[in-house]
Amino acid sequence: IRINDFLRGESGGSTVQERLQRRNQARLEDAERRKEAKQSRSVAEERTEYFFSTFNSERASIEEVLSGCSGADRAAVTQKLEEATVKTAELQKFLNDNMFVLNQYQLKTSQAALQKLQASIAETREEALPKKKFAFRARTKAADKAPVQVTATPPPADSGSDRADGPPASEQCGFSNVNNELLTKTAEEIQNRDVLLTHLTNCKVRLFGSPSTLHLKHIDGCEILCGPVATSVFVDRCRNSVLAFPCQQLRTHNTTDTRVYLHVTSRAIIEDCSGVSFAPFSWSYSGIEEDFTVSGLDRDRNNWSQVDDFNWLAAGLPSPNWTVIPEEDRKNTWDP
Amino acid sequence: MGLLTILKKMKQKEREMRLLMLGLDNAGKTTILKKFNGEDVSTISPTLGFNIKTLEHRGFKLNIWDVGGQKSLRSYWRNYFESTDGLVWVVDSADRLRLDDCRRELGALLLEERLAGATLLVFANKQDLPGALSKEAIREALALDDIKSHHWCVIGCSAVTGENLLAGVDWLLDDIAARIFTAD
Ligand SMILES: Nc1nc2c(ncn2[C@@H]2O[C@H](COP(=O)(O)OP(=O)(O)O)[C@@H](O)[C@H]2O)c(=O)[nH]1
Ligand SMILES: [Mg+2]
Repeated sequence: IRINDFLRGESGGSTVQERLQRRNQARLEDAERRKEAKQSRSVAEERTEYFFSTFNSERASIEEVLSGCSGADRAAVTQKLEEATVKTAELQKFLNDNMFVLNQYQLKTSQAALQKLQASIAETREEALPKKKFAFRARTKAADKAPVQVTATPPPADSGSDRADGPPASEQCGFSNVNNELLTKTAEEIQNRDVLLTHLTNCKVRLFGSPSTLHLKHIDGCEILCGPVATSVFVDRCRNSVLAFPCQQLRTHNTTDTRVYLHVTSRAIIEDCSGVSFAPFSWSYSGIEEDFTVSGLDRDRNNWSQVDDFNWLAAGLPSPNWTVIPEEDRKNTWDP
Repeated sequence: MGLLTILKKMKQKEREMRLLMLGLDNAGKTTILKKFNGEDVSTISPTLGFNIKTLEHRGFKLNIWDVGGQKSLRSYWRNYFESTDGLVWVVDSADRLRLDDCRRELGALLLEERLAGATLLVFANKQDLPGALSKEAIREALALDDIKSHHWCVIGCSAVTGENLLAGVDWLLDDIAARIFTAD
């Protein structure tokens, strides 16, 4: 009876043959599913593998370029350093684009490897091209003295809200509380950093290099020129000033009577502003090409004249708060 | 209600979650959203109004609302509060000058009745910047330990490198899912 039951199957009616066939079918389907799962897993693994093989070989080639600097003449070193800088910027982009095939640990170590590369580029530059740096240093040193003078001036009216800043001095990059000075920073000082300028009056500021981001607050009667900024520039409470920089975004708040010579690859906005005017970025300095590459900004895309006013959302009507600087009034030459 | 019913319910409705992403302008909200979705982040413009993205993650369908943070837009935030499961508060960790403003806006938000049930994830963004405050410093500056009304968590991240974005969203989903489960 038992055998009979078995042969007939619990569901009744199905033969051993049918049952075996079904089981075989199920096995095949299962194998197919496993194969698919394995394939999709190996696609993910392959992408990670591809990432690391590319990343590591690129890294090795940059290290090789850098090691070729020792003993080379000045021109060769300059050219090699530029090559290394460009390649490192490309490698950073490659990492950013591939973060989704990496886990947190892999991302961290790759990021650390990139930072090491950037550090050794800076180090090589310092060793191989000391003269150029020295020249910059001298200028910067003179400028660095400025804040000392100013400690005697009373704190600005709203320093209460600024007090929470208390940043560790070493991390803070920029200038604060200076009047009537020429202030400069070199590429080495600001590369990939966040730069902050606050409470500057009647100053000329020259930032050579590519910071990651730039903040300006409480600026009066200044002329501020900066190299390509990788992400956004944030301007707050600025008046009677001239600004020039390339950036990815510009956000301008509470600003009056200020001219902006702008290269912006996405968009500029103003909010609570009046008398702000815009023209295309026209400042230049030696090394700006390299800094553009470091910043990752597209040189061919400049939306300087497409300004959104967040206080003027009336469609079709131009905002009364900003204008384009007429061509004949634009500044084309800049003091050093 | 039996377990199966709950699971089934999860499948249909609660597997869809509504996340609201807020913070001051320039904090990196839109960049986080686009990076999370694998899009190019170099062309992002300041947000005029809002962006909505629907994405699938771990079997959940996420409707993420990214609302502009400009001063003139903040009064519109409340239009987006309804049926929010998770609130993502994004902070520019290097913007020390606006931390007070940031704490005030977050404090006001948490008093909103319509956000009462929402889980709060604070992204201490822009950790790739050398001048960025750590997530512990952000926790202190925003007085997060005083928050008793919401489940919260602070995570340091960078929208540019992508670091920790997934970790943050995973925490948020786990917290919301657990809440939905125990509610029945
Ligand atoms: N360095 C750095 N910049 C970021 C990060 N996240 C966003 N940004 C930049 O900050 C600016 C503002 O970002 P956006 O997403 O538009 O800010 P939102 O106003 O909060 O939507 C952009 O220029 C971004 O490239 C980050 O993690 N690190
Ligand atoms: Mg935005």
